[in-house]
Amino acid sequence: MDQLELLKKEWKNREQDFPVLSFDEIYKMLLKKSSSVIKWIFIISIIEIAFWIGLNFLIPESSKQINAEMGLDLSFIVFNIIHYCIFAFFIILFYKNYQAIQITDSVKDLMQKILKTRRTVRYFVYYNVGAAIVSMIAVNIYYYTHKEKLFEVLSVNFEDIGTNLTIDQFTTVFFGAQVVVGILLIGFIAFIYYLVYGLMLRRLKHNYVELKKMED
Amino acid sequence: MNKELEHNFVKQLEENQNVVHKICRLYTRNQDAHNDLFQEITIQLWKAFPKFRGEAKFSTWMYRVALNTAITLYRKKKRGIQTQDYESISFKIASVAYDDTIEEQLKLMYVAVKDLNDIDKALVFLYLEDKSYREISETMGISEVNARVKMNRIKEKLRKILNP
Repeated sequence: MDQLELLKKEWKNREQDFPVLSFDEIYKMLLKKSSSVIKWIFIISIIEIAFWIGLNFLIPESSKQINAEMGLDLSFIVFNIIHYCIFAFFIILFYKNYQAIQITDSVKDLMQKILKTRRTVRYFVYYNVGAAIVSMIAVNIYYYTHKEKLFEVLSVNFEDIGTNLTIDQFTTVFFGAQVVVGILLIGFIAFIYYLVYGLMLRRLKHNYVELKKMED
Repeated sequence: MNKELEHNFVKQLEENQNVVHKICRLYTRNQDAHNDLFQEITIQLWKAFPKFRGEAKFSTWMYRVALNTAITLYRKKKRGIQTQDYESISFKIASVAYDDTIEEQLKLMYVAVKDLNDIDKALVFLYLEDKSYREISETMGISEVNARVKMNRIKEKLRKILNP
């Protein structure tokens, strides 16, 4: 007889030697906390969303003041309104996708829904990184084309700049620093995400690929 | 009400715990991990229980939740080296009617099934539980034809592993 058929026959015929848990032992398990992937994905997603929203409130007053003096305040208000509308859209989408996850779904549906929920958060992060890069470039181009005024504004706010630096030296230092900080920040974010995604989703993705293969 | 629900749930799980144990043993490599997975499946079953309407048998309903937990939700804890400490006991129940070669064959087959990837293992498990291809396809979320084709491929693969 084929070995698998043999195993199948025996599978039901004899009980494997499992521990038998009592009513009380099972009852106690209900009180324990879950440590499922979904729970962790939810926690991480909430942290991410909170982090990116929080970042928006961390812009220092001095920087806001400089932007106002540079005549950018109206642009920033418009930009922020659009920005928060997009935030709200993502949060609603995330919540809806998360709510759709059901443990009683088929194996494939469950995986798809989890990956979809994660994708929402990933796009949210892409949007934030993208918006940060675009606004940084736009502001810097604006600054660069108005560098005399910027030098003037900064000289008033920070006395050291006006007394110690020429406008050319200032241009090099100011824009050089912006580029370096920008690159470091993006590198740091990429590294964190590599870790988070690598650890949380590797097995899920691997299994999803295996399941998809069945349909080719 | 809640107490009644709890009691009802625990009673049913107690009666059907073997299904969960079988899945735990297939998907883990030692007793600690087995207990961990059993615990997680219990929690997930309990969370989903209020939505269980009783239109299916409790045991049928359990398959989905338990397999989903084993395949997708369960996070393997890094607890040193993954030992295989219960491999030897998994099919050891002595049976006078069978000679040693058959016992050996059973054991080898079991180990080969355990070594399959998570998805293939789920298919084989449902097959061993004597589920119809329709039930298998519904649980996995693939078509019946694909379930059949895949199962045949897995059988072939297992045959090759055991009879090189």
